[in-house]
Amino acid sequence: MAAGIDPRRVVSAAAGGDETAWRTLVGEYSGLVWSVIRAFRLDGADAADVFQTTWLRLAEHISRIKDPDRVVAWLATVARRECLQNIKVGRRTVSTGDMSTFEVVPPVRGLVADEDPTAEAILAAEQERQDAARSAALWDAFEALSGRCRELLRVLMASPPPSYADVAAALDMPVGSIGPTRARCLGRLRAGLAERIRGDLAPS
Amino acid sequence: MTGGEGDMRDEIGDDELEAQLRQLAADREAVPAELLAAAVDAFTWRDPDAELAALVFDSLVDQDATTLVRGGQERLFSFRAGQRSVDLEVTVTGAWRTLIGQVTPSRSAEVSIRHRGGIVSTYADELGRFRAEHVAPGPVSLRLNASEPTETGLITDWVSI
Repeated sequence: MAAGIDPRRVVSAAAGGDETAWRTLVGEYSGLVWSVIRAFRLDGADAADVFQTTWLRLAEHISRIKDPDRVVAWLATVARRECLQNIKVGRRTVSTGDMSTFEVVPPVRGLVADEDPTAEAILAAEQERQDAARSAALWDAFEALSGRCRELLRVLMASPPPSYADVAAALDMPVGSIGPTRARCLGRLRAGLAERIRGDLAPS
Repeated sequence: MTGGEGDMRDEIGDDELEAQLRQLAADREAVPAELLAAAVDAFTWRDPDAELAALVFDSLVDQDATTLVRGGQERLFSFRAGQRSVDLEVTVTGAWRTLIGQVTPSRSAEVSIRHRGGIVSTYADELGRFRAEHVAPGPVSLRLNASEPTETGLITDWVSI
């Protein structure tokens, strides 16, 4: 399911010292490693420790990996174990100074026209407001999910979309249970979303 | 899902809903740029000529009665490559980590501790014991430099401390 790179070729090139191949691996699979970390709700210094340790581990193992086709599952497994160990040790205190480097800058939506707003522009602005409200409700419904559902969906949300085999490695779940669990969790998410949208529409 | 009162716009399939979540995660929780840079950088730490000592024991994962007795804040690691091994005890000292280690078979060696703050160098004595302070929390890996021309260097798996 994951997009287009041939892991066997890229891993073998990186093992030979090809930095471009390494960058390809980082570009292609960082999304999944990060999603595993967020599935376990790590952030700040804890997230940075796990992310960095996972990639350092791969860099050292790259020429020794037995089955390059499974490099993604290998990364996902290392990330999961590091997350669990990090949680066991207890979170590091994060100073506000450290945190500031992890702020995500929101994308700029385009410049505001300085002319009189036309009816079209007003409608477009209204549509954008509704879309933003729905996105906020969807995110809120997702964040409110508990346990396994939130973990599974957060890993599935990785870009590019991971294969079920890699999701199974990331969460230590049988691959056959991912489809049914996903359906059940998306059902719960829908219910949470509908509740929030109704709540927004209700007169206050 | 049989509730008929749902908003039309939310009657979308599972794949579409998952795609919307993926887009939201990309917008709100993208991989921080400095972490991507750190992952690219990880390649420069590679040492393919050295022998890799794999992590074979971590008290946090493999804790047994022996280590529980010690209690306290230490975390113990063992790394092994063939006949050679490195045992490591990590203690938290304020914002830093203190490492006490043992090289087996015991011998004196230069030990480089690779961590986020750079490299701390220390020496193992003739009994193979070494100690280092002020190691940054986060990923760490040790390198034992070869003491004879016939020997290869030894590096340990990266662990997060």
